[in-house]
Amino acid sequence: MQVHQLTYEEAQSLVGVQFMPDNYFNPIMDADGNWIISIEEVEQCSIDWVKELPLLNYNPA
Amino acid sequence: MSFLVNPYSYATGCDADAVAFLAAAGITDATITSAICTLVISMKANGTWAKMNAIYPMVGGTATTHKFNLKNPADTNAAFRLTFVGGWTHSANGALPNGTNTYANTFFNSLTNAIQNSHHLSYYSRTNVNLIQAEIGNQILPVQNLLQIRTSNLSYYIINQNASYANAADTDSRAFYIANRTSSNVVNGWKNGVKVATSTTVSNGRPNLNIYIGAYNNNSVSSAYSTKQCAFASIGTGMTDGEAAALYTAVQAMQTTLSRQV
Repeated sequence: MQVHQLTYEEAQSLVGVQFMPDNYFNPIMDADGNWIISIEEVEQCSIDWVKELPLLNYNPA
Repeated sequence: MSFLVNPYSYATGCDADAVAFLAAAGITDATITSAICTLVISMKANGTWAKMNAIYPMVGGTATTHKFNLKNPADTNAAFRLTFVGGWTHSANGALPNGTNTYANTFFNSLTNAIQNSHHLSYYSRTNVNLIQAEIGNQILPVQNLLQIRTSNLSYYIINQNASYANAADTDSRAFYIANRTSSNVVNGWKNGVKVATSTTVSNGRPNLNIYIGAYNNNSVSSAYSTKQCAFASIGTGMTDGEAAALYTAVQAMQTTLSRQV
C-alpha cells in the first residue's frame, strides 16, 4: 500500500486542517520515521501543495 | 381534553427527535427521512432509545451528515458529535475507514459518561475482512472497552474489563455487532440479533478516555485502525437480551430501507 510522504513541518501545518468539510488531516509517523498522510486525504483535498506530495510504500508503525 | 403535539412532527408524521436530527444534518431525502423516522419510532417502542447516549446512523453520505448523534444532534463535543480524522471515505453506504490513519472521536469519556456495570457498544460493519483491527472503544490498561470484529477469525466483546474476554468464532464480519455488559459479571456478545458469546469476567473500571470509532483510543493514541465500513454505531447503557435482539431488528430495517443491508 502506498501513502504520501511529507516533512515534519508540512505535517505540523496540516494538524487541525480539514481536507473536506468536517474531516481533518491526520499526519502520522510510519515505522521508518517518515511522516505520512493517506491517499484518501490527498485525493479528497483541494490544497495544491498537498496534491504534489510524493508517494511512499507504507510501513505501519 | 387537550393535546400537546409538536406541529412539525405532526405535519410530517415523524417523531420529533428524528425531525431534529434530519434538520441538523440538512437531510431532506425522502428515503433517508423514512428510514430515520421508522428507526426512532421503533427504538422508542422497543425500549432501546432510552438506553442510548449516542446513536450514529451514518446517513446522508458526507462527513457533515455522518457526524451527528441522533440522540442529541447538537454540533458540539458535549453532544457527542463525531469529529472525523484521517482518510475516511464517506458515501451513501456509510463511513469507510482506511485502516491507516482514520478514527472518529465521539467525545464520550467512559469515566465521566458511562456506567461501569451497564454499558454497550455497537457497530454495523459492511466489510468482510480478517485483520487485527478494532472498530470502537478505548483502553487504559488494565481497563478495556472494545469491539474487535473478526480478528484472527474471532470477534471480541469487551466492556470495562481486562482478560477472559467474551469471544466467538467469526468468518464473516459483515453484520451488526453489540458488546453488552448487563451486570458486574455478565458481558454478552451479539451478532445480528443472536447472542454468540458470554463472559463472567468482573468489571474493573472505566477508562478516562474518549471512545473512538474506526480504531480504539489506546491511552490517547489511536490504534488498530479498521477497514470495516460503518453503517451504524451506538454507545449506551446495557440492554436486556430482548432489547439487544430488538435493536438489531430496528437497525436492519433501517439498512434495508436504505438498500445497504448486509
